[in-house]
Amino acid sequence: MSEQTGKQLSKEEKDARFEAELLPVLDPLYNFAYRLTLDEDDANDLVQETYLKAYRFFDYFEQGTNAKAWLFRILKNSFINEFRKKSKQPAKVDYSEVEGYYNSEDVEGESGVATTTDMRTESVQDLIGDEVASALNALPVDFRTVIILCDLEGFTYEEMAKILDIPIGTVRSRLHRARNSLKEKLEKYAKTMGYNS
Amino acid sequence: METKYTEVYQNAPVASKEAECEKVSMLLDLVIDGEATSEDQQYFNHHIEDCVSCFESHQKQKLLKGLVCGHLKRVIVPESLAHLIKAKIQETL
Ligand SMILES: [Zn+2]
Repeated sequence: MSEQTGKQLSKEEKDARFEAELLPVLDPLYNFAYRLTLDEDDANDLVQETYLKAYRFFDYFEQGTNAKAWLFRILKNSFINEFRKKSKQPAKVDYSEVEGYYNSEDVEGESGVATTTDMRTESVQDLIGDEVASALNALPVDFRTVIILCDLEGFTYEEMAKILDIPIGTVRSRLHRARNSLKEKLEKYAKTMGYNS
Repeated sequence: METKYTEVYQNAPVASKEAECEKVSMLLDLVIDGEATSEDQQYFNHHIEDCVSCFESHQKQKLLKGLVCGHLKRVIVPESLAHLIKAKIQETL
């Protein structure tokens, strides 16, 4: 029955704020989890764990600050601390199969008739997307992470430094090396397809 | 390679072409990611006007970033996930 200090939120207030401020990040967070684990079930577990932690530590979250960066940081830490150890070896997964599955589901979903005005262009787009995905998935997880954070989610270097707990200089050099490896992998692909000179 | 336009905007000592290219390549990621200072950005823009190889690496790097943000498919969040999270929160005191 002890009434907590003035700042303490009631459960209703806390739940409402949690839903309003943190749940909208679900989509990017799930995508990040998937790109780290390369497994749907693992991504699902990781995201749930992240939200539960966020709820537990919600009092430490300052309203109006960057909820997305805060959640990404929690997720990244969960991944490193607990998840990485217990997860199945992701190196054995056939990524192209996983990607294919998502792509076909995507097509079936909402885009049925309306957006298929140009099938040829669309399938070329899919092909490129698949290739980018498998090149990215073949990178070491640290490299994959910085590319996702920067290029897909648009975090600034400063935000990335906070999410990853590393200095900005390290963010820069890691990003640089990550892009070089990604470039290498994609160039190899371009060559086999007969593009590149 | 010779620079066609010889006006020197920079009041810094004229560096060798190689050193300039080196500096520009160091700025490449910053420029692509919108993290360069306006001074560096200006230096960069000015350099690639005249330097074909740096111009090309800029194009390549932009393309690479575009491939990730424009072509990588986003995975679809399972419908049940948000409900599941809310339900778990409800159980938490
Ligand atoms: Zn140059």
